[in-house]
Amino acid sequence: MHDLIRRYGTGLTTLFCLLVAFWLLVLIILPNFSMLFESFFPYLPVADQGGPKDVFTLGNYEKILANPIETAWFGVPVTIPIHVNTFVDTVFFSALVTFMTLILAYPLAYFLAKVASPRSIPTLLLLLFIPMWVSEALRAFAWYIILTFNGPLNAALKALGIIDQSIRWQNGIVTSYDAIVIVLTYCYVLFMLFPIYTAITSLDTNQIEAAEDLGSPWWRTHWRVVIPHAKPGIASGCVMVFMLSAGSLLVPTVVGSTKANWFPQTIYTWFNDALDWNTGAAYSMIFLLVCIIFVILMMRLFKVKLSDIAR
Amino acid sequence: MKHMKSAFNRRRFLQGSAAGAGLLAAPAIISSKALASSGEVNFVGWAGYPVLTEKVFPAFEAATGIKVNFKELPDQDTMFAEGKVALETGGIDVMEPTIDRWGGWNSNGLLGAWDPAKLAMDNYLPGLADGSAGERSRDGDKLMYVPSNWGTEALVVNEAEAKLSSPPSLGDLFNPENPAVLRPHSTLAAMGRWLDAQGKLPRPWMDGYTDMAAMAELWDIALAEAIKAKGNVVQWWSGENEANAGFTANGATIGLCWDSTGFNLRNDGYKYIAPVEGAFAWHQGFVLMKNAKNVDQAHEFAKFVSTPEGSAMWATAFSSNPVGKGSAEFMSPDVAAYYNGTFDDAALAKLWWWPEQTAEFIAKRSEYADKYKAA
Repeated sequence: MHDLIRRYGTGLTTLFCLLVAFWLLVLIILPNFSMLFESFFPYLPVADQGGPKDVFTLGNYEKILANPIETAWFGVPVTIPIHVNTFVDTVFFSALVTFMTLILAYPLAYFLAKVASPRSIPTLLLLLFIPMWVSEALRAFAWYIILTFNGPLNAALKALGIIDQSIRWQNGIVTSYDAIVIVLTYCYVLFMLFPIYTAITSLDTNQIEAAEDLGSPWWRTHWRVVIPHAKPGIASGCVMVFMLSAGSLLVPTVVGSTKANWFPQTIYTWFNDALDWNTGAAYSMIFLLVCIIFVILMMRLFKVKLSDIAR
Repeated sequence: MKHMKSAFNRRRFLQGSAAGAGLLAAPAIISSKALASSGEVNFVGWAGYPVLTEKVFPAFEAATGIKVNFKELPDQDTMFAEGKVALETGGIDVMEPTIDRWGGWNSNGLLGAWDPAKLAMDNYLPGLADGSAGERSRDGDKLMYVPSNWGTEALVVNEAEAKLSSPPSLGDLFNPENPAVLRPHSTLAAMGRWLDAQGKLPRPWMDGYTDMAAMAELWDIALAEAIKAKGNVVQWWSGENEANAGFTANGATIGLCWDSTGFNLRNDGYKYIAPVEGAFAWHQGFVLMKNAKNVDQAHEFAKFVSTPEGSAMWATAFSSNPVGKGSAEFMSPDVAAYYNGTFDDAALAKLWWWPEQTAEFIAKRSEYADKYKAA
């Protein structure tokens, strides 16, 4: 604070603080607080609001446990509430997306940070950035077109003689979430790449050479030297990609199969189809809370501290 | 705990924060509205119909001098959400829901009443603003809704490839040989009506719209049957674009879609067919917001869309049917020919108007649609 005042004077410093406070309080904390508050009251017509029916209730939260359906996880039949099922699917496939982006981004980040010649870095980064200039909506729609039944992917594979019947890629080959996983991975891979790239850049190349001089094979150098050093970058990349994927509404809506349900779509349905903002708010709160718990558990599991990420 | 007695009143809090937001925005509101409040109307309507801004609003402004501030929204659920916010913040005079939905908006306190003396009720075609539709436009003796155009939701089929029964039926949507593009909640209603027509339901499908216990009973049956037949669904649609792409990009040969989808695909080998059970029909119109500022202009606006020329323009913009008497000569011949190709007198007589759906019904309906999607 003293630094700020010394550098920018009292006026500007006050302005900074007020703007940050406005941002945090009015745009983040108050809306979430109001949503949390609303989630404990029933959805009522305006006429009944404030009336005898307008009482504190946990009913909105209980709705997620209603409507059991029969489904199967990895071939094991289970009976669980439909929205819990959607929820589990969303978390599972978001974790899968996170894993896929990590597999793709780590080698690339290492290449950029330690292998590529410094002169080519700006060009390479630019090439990576160009797709980011196109809006996510357009990129999702482009993938929709690629994966459709009469789309270019089927046409190309047929022309090459690899398949003779068109395939419904959008409806999935392995699971009904294939298309969503592919497109989310594509959309968010850079959110994984740049934190890891930054982390590896700060690693002294001498350490890698020392490991090699001492006879370490390449994989052990990565396992014992590079990855531990890049861990904060990997962790913040994972958190970002996971939260973005789990919270994505656009991609599942555009490319989702006829069987896929993404949890944000369920929330959207409560708000916009059922017009029940209170239950929508309750679902949003559950989603936020469980995702945060999931992330904290994962960080515990991989022994990453919050301060590592913020670094 | 009783809400009224709690120290911290939630509604008060919300009203307070809405007022605060209004205060922040006040300079903008005052500067733009204070001078011009005599000659404009704030209209929230459907997105995706460019003819409205290209032709209809300029024609209205030329005729009356009233400027239309148009906000486009993709569907009426979003409109409702917008209207709910506008209850606190203002800024909307007229919106355009369907006849089956304004009841829910009204019970949420969004709507004010039209003054028939400021409109021209004789302009409307028989059956659209009088008779049963007239009753459904009123809350007691207050006129809450005036029609703007009407249309249908029926079978869009690929003429060469779709396998149709004779005569074509809603059941063709569930034929495993027909890849289909559908929207979940309409499909469940179609299944219900199809089962109803075959006498396979324990009670009439219409009961579900008035009695929630009957709804659960009937929709459970329709859901179970629809899930059995789900294999042929290749894509869901919720708006015009997705419906169109379902046919062209994903190769559906049949769909339960709006007439505009069929119209847009009419030159690509697709046909719009009324099923033997009767096409779903909707009726769209204007409602006046309770806190509307430009009330007289709003009446002028609704009146313009009941004139022969105005109603024809409005219907043409939506590729649908006009509500005004004498509008036929102003309609595009393309649209007129398309409609006459689908609806003869018998098909018109069988039109199935979407019944009123309460907020409770819609919430339940969404749950069924969710289950159907997830299955």
